[in-house]
Amino acid sequence: MDDSRQSDGVRADYDAVIVGASLAGCTTAIALGRGGARVALVEKRPDPAAFKRTCSHFIQASAVPALERLGLLEPMLEAGAVRTTMRAWTRWGWIEAPPGRAREGVNLRRELLDPLVREMAAATTGVDLMLGQAAHGLLREDGAICGVSIKNAQGEETALRAKLTVGADGRDSQIAELAWVRTKTWPHGRFAYGAYFEGPPPAPGGGSTIWMLDPQWAAAFPTDDGLVFYAAMPTKERLPEFKRDPERALISFLADIPDAPPILVSRKVGSVTGKIEMPNKVRAPIAPGLALVGDAALAVDPLFGVGCGWALQSSEWLAGNVVPALRGEESLADGLARYRRRHRDELRGHALQINEQATGRRQNPGERMLFAAAARDPKIAERFDAFATRSIRPGALAAVIPRAIAVNARHALGPRRRRSASPDLGQPLGE
Amino acid sequence: MSAAAGLERKRLPLEGAQPRLIQAGPIDAPEAVVFVHGNPGSADDWAALVAALGGAGRRALAIDLPDFGETIAPPGFEHSAEGYARFLGEALQALGVERADLVLHDFGGPIGLLWAAAHNEALASVTLIDTGILPGFRWHRLARVWRTPVLGELFQAMATRRSFRTLLGRCEPRGLPRPFVEAMYDHYDWRTRKAVLKLYRATADPGSVGAGVAPRDDVPALVIWGEHDAYIPAAYAYRQRDVFPNAEVHVLPVSGHWPFADAPDTVERLLLEFLA
Repeated sequence: MDDSRQSDGVRADYDAVIVGASLAGCTTAIALGRGGARVALVEKRPDPAAFKRTCSHFIQASAVPALERLGLLEPMLEAGAVRTTMRAWTRWGWIEAPPGRAREGVNLRRELLDPLVREMAAATTGVDLMLGQAAHGLLREDGAICGVSIKNAQGEETALRAKLTVGADGRDSQIAELAWVRTKTWPHGRFAYGAYFEGPPPAPGGGSTIWMLDPQWAAAFPTDDGLVFYAAMPTKERLPEFKRDPERALISFLADIPDAPPILVSRKVGSVTGKIEMPNKVRAPIAPGLALVGDAALAVDPLFGVGCGWALQSSEWLAGNVVPALRGEESLADGLARYRRRHRDELRGHALQINEQATGRRQNPGERMLFAAAARDPKIAERFDAFATRSIRPGALAAVIPRAIAVNARHALGPRRRRSASPDLGQPLGE
Repeated sequence: MSAAAGLERKRLPLEGAQPRLIQAGPIDAPEAVVFVHGNPGSADDWAALVAALGGAGRRALAIDLPDFGETIAPPGFEHSAEGYARFLGEALQALGVERADLVLHDFGGPIGLLWAAAHNEALASVTLIDTGILPGFRWHRLARVWRTPVLGELFQAMATRRSFRTLLGRCEPRGLPRPFVEAMYDHYDWRTRKAVLKLYRATADPGSVGAGVAPRDDVPALVIWGEHDAYIPAAYAYRQRDVFPNAEVHVLPVSGHWPFADAPDTVERLLLEFLA
């Protein structure tokens, strides 16, 4: 793409300047570069191998097609990434899609994934990776953002002008703040601690597992090199116990849950990491001359494991919608408007559901009805799997409600019929 | 859960009462793991755990408290925490137990802690299961019903097997195993129902029970609590460190008031790690 004048008359050094060379930023740079754009990819950390430390690293099945299109899946698998299905523990039993019907996500530790994606971005034609450069101001022209001002460790400042500025700088996006983008914050009632362990897989088939303990959560994600990432996401009342001794509390928490994973016979590798404050942040993903991707646009409760996947997907949606504008085939505003619609249509429903659950509240009757039915019926389990892996929108779950009611009703009536034949069932009481 | 093999069941010859005893392991050992049940409850609550600890080489025993299980209280027995604590002391003396690792549940908590306060040197360790010191605790709704004259008697009179089962099931996050509930109801006869009314009416302030227990940083302690205990909030699990500063605390995330019934494997593992 040429660097001729934009429609507003600002001369651009780049077609796009991206702030943040983590998963979302690098993915956006790769996609834009392959579209023919000249891209500046700015990262404040100087180390090309830097990586995000507090992350479950689970990439949901919904994002796997994006990985394939970007050519990232194969290199990830070569680096040791593990494809896993997902199963969920509930007090009614396990929710597992039937064999062969479960959707597969990808697990690769961020210390391998981030450098891999960054290296691929740096090798993409048209992408200039600028490490050790912190964005500290936005350039504006006629009310629109037209680049960023960056500063290195020596304090040397450079102005990078671009048709499009992209904020890919995470949950606490400085670019969003500098651009005065309104942030809607949702309270979060949990905290998270996790660590990698070496030992037996948490599930018989080696799949990823979550425990919906109502309201507590736990998770186990098998990943590269035979490791398993174990995570506890309890409500805040339990924080003092974790602060007292994080490793002991993490192991106890995982060991004490029903159908516990084999954490007691596993060996911890590396340190226990934790994050205490994780407010969900929802931002308008565009402003004049600006787009936000990944957590900068939408950062939700990490326990749902959607952050990595949505970073990849939102980056692909942005690139797909603005490349024509960067080529001069249409106005940038039109491309950005399409991105905003796609972002909203794909993620808003999921975000509303997640934000509302992130308070740490107990399951409501509708959720209990659905989870119980999914644990009892393979068809509902399959649909639940599609929803949990974010492969379908929340509204698509409504189709299973009549079946869920019927399944639960059949279950409720079943024991009475059997009881008449056998007075002592030895079955649990309750629901 | 381990099979309840190797259990010895017999009557303990005490003056005025012959409490039912379940015992396993080296029965002459002067140090024993002593299980004290709550309400409703009996020595049967602990059979599997007594067997597991016995199998691990520890002397382990559980007895019915008077007017619970199959044990009839002697004439003039005082149905109060203090009265039961005295009974526990007499039973342990008769059994030749010089040092005890107490495992307490529900009302067994105040009873055991009162005994421990009077026998400092005899307490080897304490395991508190949904019980312990309860500063500021006010009786739960069911206890308030029991404590109310006439209403308590009416409630007990109307406790049919079905209503008993329904009430317990509704208050537990995963329900309780049917045989456990059935056995509990089988023991919930009129004698036990009257004993429950007397015990709760003799205990006006549950928050003060155990208040006299001096902090013991020399006593190993294990606290196990069901997060969804409908009777005594799980927040009290961590308060046990007020008295036992070194307590290891486990709040089981999908358990209720009877973790040894709804999470038997976890409770057994924790007890064996702590005591065996």
